[in-house]
Amino acid sequence: MWEIVIISSIKVLLVVVAILTGCAYATYMERKVLGHMQHRIGPLYAGPYGLLQPVADGLKLIFKEDIVPDNVERTTYALAPLLAFVPSLLTFAVVPFAADVDMFGYRITGVISDLNIGILWVFAVTSLGVYGLVLAGWSSGSKYSMLGAIRSSAQMISYEVAYGLSIIGVILIANTFSLREIVEQQASITDWFVFRQPLGFLLFITCAIAETNRAPFDLPEAESELVAGYHTEYSSMRFSTFFISEYANMIAVSSVATTLFFGGWQGPLLPPILWFCIKVFLFMFLYIWLRATFPRFRYDQLMAFGWKVLFPLALLNTIVTAGLVMLTDWL
Amino acid sequence: MTDGSQVGVIFWFLSFVILISGFMVVSLKNIFYCALFLVLCLFSVAGIFILLEAEFLAAAQVLIYVGAVAILMIFAIMLTTDMASKEITQTNENVTVGVFVSVIFAISTILLIDKTSVWRYQDHDFSEGVTVTLGKLLMTKFMLPFELVSVLLLAAMIGAIVLARKERS
Amino acid sequence: MEFAFPEYNLRLMAPEIFLFLWALLIIAYDVLTKRKSETTAGYLALAGLMITGLILGFTGTGHGFGNMFVSDTAAKFFKIIFLGSAFMAIGSSFGIMREKIVNHRGEFYGLILFSTVGMMFLSSSNELLSLYIGLELTTIPLFVLAAFFKDDKLSVEAGIKYFIVGAFSSALLLYGISFLYGLSGTTDLVQMKINIAITHLTFQNIGVILILAIVLVVAGIGFKLSLPPFHQWVPDVYQGSPTPVAAFLSVGSKAAGLIAFAKIFVNGLFAFHHPDMAPNDWGRLVALLAVAAMILGNTVAIRQTNIKRMLGYSSIAQVGYIMIGIVAMNALGMAAMGFYIFAYMFANMGAFAAVAIVEDKTGSCEISTYSGLARTSPLLSATFAVFLLSLAGIPPLAGFMAKFYIFAAGIQAAQHDPGLYWMYWLVGIALLTTVFAIYYYANIIKQMYFAKEPSPHKVTYNFPALTVLLIGLAGLFVFGIYPEPVLHFASGIASSFGIIP
Repeated sequence: MWEIVIISSIKVLLVVVAILTGCAYATYMERKVLGHMQHRIGPLYAGPYGLLQPVADGLKLIFKEDIVPDNVERTTYALAPLLAFVPSLLTFAVVPFAADVDMFGYRITGVISDLNIGILWVFAVTSLGVYGLVLAGWSSGSKYSMLGAIRSSAQMISYEVAYGLSIIGVILIANTFSLREIVEQQASITDWFVFRQPLGFLLFITCAIAETNRAPFDLPEAESELVAGYHTEYSSMRFSTFFISEYANMIAVSSVATTLFFGGWQGPLLPPILWFCIKVFLFMFLYIWLRATFPRFRYDQLMAFGWKVLFPLALLNTIVTAGLVMLTDWL
Repeated sequence: MTDGSQVGVIFWFLSFVILISGFMVVSLKNIFYCALFLVLCLFSVAGIFILLEAEFLAAAQVLIYVGAVAILMIFAIMLTTDMASKEITQTNENVTVGVFVSVIFAISTILLIDKTSVWRYQDHDFSEGVTVTLGKLLMTKFMLPFELVSVLLLAAMIGAIVLARKERS
Repeated sequence: MEFAFPEYNLRLMAPEIFLFLWALLIIAYDVLTKRKSETTAGYLALAGLMITGLILGFTGTGHGFGNMFVSDTAAKFFKIIFLGSAFMAIGSSFGIMREKIVNHRGEFYGLILFSTVGMMFLSSSNELLSLYIGLELTTIPLFVLAAFFKDDKLSVEAGIKYFIVGAFSSALLLYGISFLYGLSGTTDLVQMKINIAITHLTFQNIGVILILAIVLVVAGIGFKLSLPPFHQWVPDVYQGSPTPVAAFLSVGSKAAGLIAFAKIFVNGLFAFHHPDMAPNDWGRLVALLAVAAMILGNTVAIRQTNIKRMLGYSSIAQVGYIMIGIVAMNALGMAAMGFYIFAYMFANMGAFAAVAIVEDKTGSCEISTYSGLARTSPLLSATFAVFLLSLAGIPPLAGFMAKFYIFAAGIQAAQHDPGLYWMYWLVGIALLTTVFAIYYYANIIKQMYFAKEPSPHKVTYNFPALTVLLIGLAGLFVFGIYPEPVLHFASGIASSFGIIP
């Protein structure tokens, strides 16, 4: 009994530390990659190649004055960053990041908790993320924050439908909700679900970018019209909590995409955990690449795209996949 | 893994949260906070589902009620800017009678349920897992209500569009 | 994956499926033609209802979807009533269609048909889950229909009131159903009847918890049936809703509540009707509510100045009479209940159609508007008078025969079983309140025929509304003089609920 608790605690600790470090270096990566894509160099002075830049940024944010505007609703104002941050970490509870290993006489699974409703957990937790934004926007008592919150909630609700539908194809083929079993079914590269569910994958990644409010779907914080969207009135650590949660969300989505469509930790030669990290890293790169490439959507385009393109396509994908699964069963 | 007393403690805690947050929903004056407490209430109900080993229902509860229904309510409240910050009293002159009737009803219900020990339920074969069994039942035995719900939702959707749409003149 | 699919027997469901598709067709038609035509959608809806009626005639009896869907005499009889009331409601809606509902004609008819589909599923459900969903499908479109005049404060008030009351009563009903499930371990009504009886025989103490379940279900369906003390929404909602919708509410929705009530109580809680089953005898509880309905409906109606509110209170009273048939729990009572709602459909839908015609012309529903109407619009006044007299129960109209059978059933039950001696009182009170009823119905006839000044208004008829008036008139006379075929058909309801004559 106690061994399980200790092992789980260690795993949780490791994962949280890894995610937070990952978030910090994701900001560095974003600036560096964007810089090079735009023929700039990016951060350079803090440490070799600017590698200590995230540390410097973090220190700076901690020592900044925490300004709380007068007309905010204090409780919800303080609660909002946490509500944005916690769900993004909760996703990792079910993501398998390595194969099982035998260590010190115990069998240690490569996942914090192998829930039999893993995928549903991911989506349930993702749907909670919007509360942080909404609360932040409402409690700030500022019109920019409010508009940002309204936009982001409308966007997240709209895209969540297609987001959920896009992975039903994978569930239908895998015949399980458990992420661990889904990974185990993708042992060789030909079994990767991205090849069996190409449309599903495209829909998933599109909706995922919208769900994480990233470019080109970053309307909630469109700086040219809304200052900074829902977190306009936040400063210091509270601001950086929102900032970190955005990157944690990106890593979470990348991990889920890796797990569902790219075989998770499966791969030859290298240790599983490394394969997992490489795949997640490539997704993070994709995020930044897209940001450097595409201009921002207009709001009505965004809504029309979500409801009139992605949603019907996701339905179609579900129906076709269900039909094919039935057919293969029947043959 | 967990023994009875632990489950009991969690159950009482969740019930306490549900009751308090439910009470807040019907008594607070700011409708935005009411909606937030409703979210807390629905979330705790998901916890009760987990205690009952109905993980699928718990996830569905969070996904549908917390993630979609409640957020739409909050969205509607935010869009009607007059409502979001206004103080609205939720009681009227009938509050005493209402409280009296509710308390009587609650106490008698609790006593009656407590005295009854003959509850029965339908036994199903759960060897394939709760979710699979649930899905199979919905697709076989309970197919008619399952399909009817889709008709119901369609009707409700058309009705909502009719009511919410801006009229062309 | 192994599936054991139940036997669907989809052909039994053909009327419902057809009507559902037809409703979608009407909405699509109206949108695609850019809502140009004022009347086509309405005529399409009428045609759809007629075709559904034809299909219903060719549908056999039997079970479908395992045991969940049942097509028996009771279901068919009530489906005819639902289709008929929807037909007459739509027929009387052409007047308001012209000016007041410009943008959503297709949706208006579509929602009425959706509601009708819900009622039809409800009357065919043999199980609590689909029964509940059928009831919801019946009421949710009606919330929208009640608030269909979006710019009219009264209509919006009606919609919101009906919505809140409806949602609240659904919650009560669902809570009651959960207790019934907990006691029986099944949602199937027939199985429930057996299981609860077994539980009762094994553990003598389920009586108290069954009372709770019964009270909750009575309250939940009581709201839909507008049985006092769950009736307060009725006058406001009837007054505010568009008149055809109020008409549909008063007949279709009420018949739906009635069949739901009969299914749960007469079928599912069959064994707990008799006073010997005290304390969980629902018969006396419902009889009490019926008495309250008759007294309250008939007395408060006298003081109303708005005709729709008056008809609202009158409909509360009518439900009280119908409940006597259910409480009697004998073959005649079931048949009388069916015949009563059948006659009530003609009279009430006709009366509302007349109100709609007057409202289209004058824009008012005040009773004073009807003063002297007989001299300018003799046909309307005459038919309206007939409908009111039938509601009051004057021979030779169908309403009289209906009341006669209901009272006969009550007395028969009392004679048959000394435990039900209070049925005499019930029938006595019913007879007494009928006298009150005649007073306020006659008051309107007096206004129309014996006013000093002729009315400044002369009504104009449109073809469908006139048809509805004539259908109502014909129905009341024909079935008042020759009720046997309907009564014979309705006597099958008893055997559907397992009551052997």
